[in-house]
Amino acid sequence: MTTTTPAPPRTAAPQGRPSAARRLRSWFANPWGRPRFLVLITWTYMVWAIVPVLIAVQYSFNGSRSRTIWAGFSTRWYISDPSSVINDPTLSSALQQSLKLAAADVIIATPIGVLLALGLARWRGRGSGSSNFIMLFPLVTPEIVMGVSLLLVFTNLFTFIHTGTFAQILGHVTFSISYVVVIVRGRLFSIGRQYEEAAADLGASPRVALVKVLLPLLTPAIVAGAAICFAISIDDFVISYWLSSGGNTTTVPMAIYAATRAAPLPSTNAIATILSLITLASVVLGYAGYRIFTRGERAAGQGMVGDMAAFDI
Amino acid sequence: MAGEVSLVDLVKRFGEIAAVDGINVDMPSGEFFSMLGPSGCGKTTTLRMIAGFEQPTEGRILLDGTDMAYTPPHKRNVNTVFQNYALFPHLNVHDNVAFGLRRQKVGKQELRQRVGEALELVQLNGFEKRKPGQMSGGQQQRVALARALVLKPAVLLLDEPLGALDAKLRKALQIELKALQQQVGITFVYVTHDQEEALTMSDRIAVMADGRVEQIGPPQEVYEAPETVFVADFLGVSNMMDAEAVGGANICRLMVGDFELDALKGKTDARGPSKVTIRPERVHLEDQDTNGPNRIPGMVERLVYLGNSVQVITRLAIGTTIQVLVQNAGGEIPWKQGTPVQAYLPPEALRVLTDTGAALPKLDEEAVEPV
Repeated sequence: MTTTTPAPPRTAAPQGRPSAARRLRSWFANPWGRPRFLVLITWTYMVWAIVPVLIAVQYSFNGSRSRTIWAGFSTRWYISDPSSVINDPTLSSALQQSLKLAAADVIIATPIGVLLALGLARWRGRGSGSSNFIMLFPLVTPEIVMGVSLLLVFTNLFTFIHTGTFAQILGHVTFSISYVVVIVRGRLFSIGRQYEEAAADLGASPRVALVKVLLPLLTPAIVAGAAICFAISIDDFVISYWLSSGGNTTTVPMAIYAATRAAPLPSTNAIATILSLITLASVVLGYAGYRIFTRGERAAGQGMVGDMAAFDI
Repeated sequence: MAGEVSLVDLVKRFGEIAAVDGINVDMPSGEFFSMLGPSGCGKTTTLRMIAGFEQPTEGRILLDGTDMAYTPPHKRNVNTVFQNYALFPHLNVHDNVAFGLRRQKVGKQELRQRVGEALELVQLNGFEKRKPGQMSGGQQQRVALARALVLKPAVLLLDEPLGALDAKLRKALQIELKALQQQVGITFVYVTHDQEEALTMSDRIAVMADGRVEQIGPPQEVYEAPETVFVADFLGVSNMMDAEAVGGANICRLMVGDFELDALKGKTDARGPSKVTIRPERVHLEDQDTNGPNRIPGMVERLVYLGNSVQVITRLAIGTTIQVLVQNAGGEIPWKQGTPVQAYLPPEALRVLTDTGAALPKLDEEAVEPV
């Protein structure tokens, strides 16, 4: 059929003003509109999650001994009070212990994790699939189970390992290796074998290819892995608790826990604030490192999203 | 002169599948040799075996007479230009090009000079400090070339190096690449699925299918004188007809349906069921009352205007539809849809083919090349 009359409009124009319900509905369900509810829900959640932390931070600067009644700004719970973070031997030793464990964890778990990731990503054949899967076990095992199991191992099987700093480090390393492996392996899969092949093609032995090409390309993932190791070690409670031998093997989370059960002072808030800042700093540093080291690639349209997509779990 | 490559009975199996199934090729030094075929034909696997990234299951890879099938890639005097270039993203152009020289412990002075020369060769001086991510695809491609050529390899392997570029740039680089190869004079082994690329640049082409070589020869020979059904089908457009070869030695007498055709080209001593082919531009359409040998009546089914020529789709009386290309000389084409015609198939244009059983991959089941 051929006609020359203009086609009628696709939708009939509404007669007069649409009803209120209809207008509400079109405001509510307008696919082109701004995502109002998404914004609302997101901000509600952020406020819900962050406000308690901010209040805790605020009371770490309280002028009085109260953790609920604001008495003016002061840094006494950080430096001057006899029971401040600096002056209270329990708190300062806890801070030291936490930092010590986290540092040792990063130094030990990161290289082992990187090597494991390299091996697992390149190993093809019997057992490679299951070992890749088992790698994820520490990520999904309840921490309490891991803590108790490790304690049993150290007290019954490997009795030469006594509870205390060494056992705590072993515990932290045990579960944080998996994080490094997962992150580095994801990066390995996303960069593929082409750069190694190119290096070999240009005369680099496997060892040189690893040092000159693969490790530089893995740096962002290694930095991110180290940062995550640090962050999860420093705020770990369960494993540190089960493997501690009391006294100066108490970590910050343990000290906060103990203090809260006894007579909490704003110094507890102060040390919690310090802990949060350290964790935040490590994650920010890790992320910044990732951004810096992948700068060239992001210009070429690859980068973190690709790495995350290639996690291949 | 160095750079002679010989593949002897080369086989590569991935599990049950033979990706490369017995290849014998000799590439004299200084040749621009292309391996052409659809994806999954084994061309990339062959190249990767020459480079050393894959180990052959059987056979030998000779470089200037020495078997290097089991030499690791970093000890072979061949270099590769990868399909996606594989430039090291953390190194700038200078360091990318210098990477191989540093592995050879070349002195500082010489290194700087050779990197400069290589970049000049690909017209990229002044780009030394750029990172690969800050360059266009064409520029990255040149860096990849410079990085490989700076080592003065005996053989340069190129794995679809123009595949990621747009059509115009690809055309320009084809000419440049060929000129470059003549300038440096080393053997190029070029893998592509693009027939135009292979035809324009190569000294010789190996057309591959299903892990085997179907035909080797200069571009003109492979295009003009395909030996097998696959080659005729893969290169350009061919009108394929089923025929029964009934006699003759230099002239092959064929029965196509009820019609008798004489063919002068190809496997003229064939007997029994055969395939015969003719290129669209070699068919002449004539008035329906023209008489003479080597003619089959038909009817014009469709005309497709192509600009410089007109494609006349003609259904022959034997049931086969053929394409006929009529040059656009400015005049009106005397045939319309439904016009009965005589298709004259000159004996010197008819070619009897060998059927190796290799078939073009269907568009919807494109095979995946194992990497």
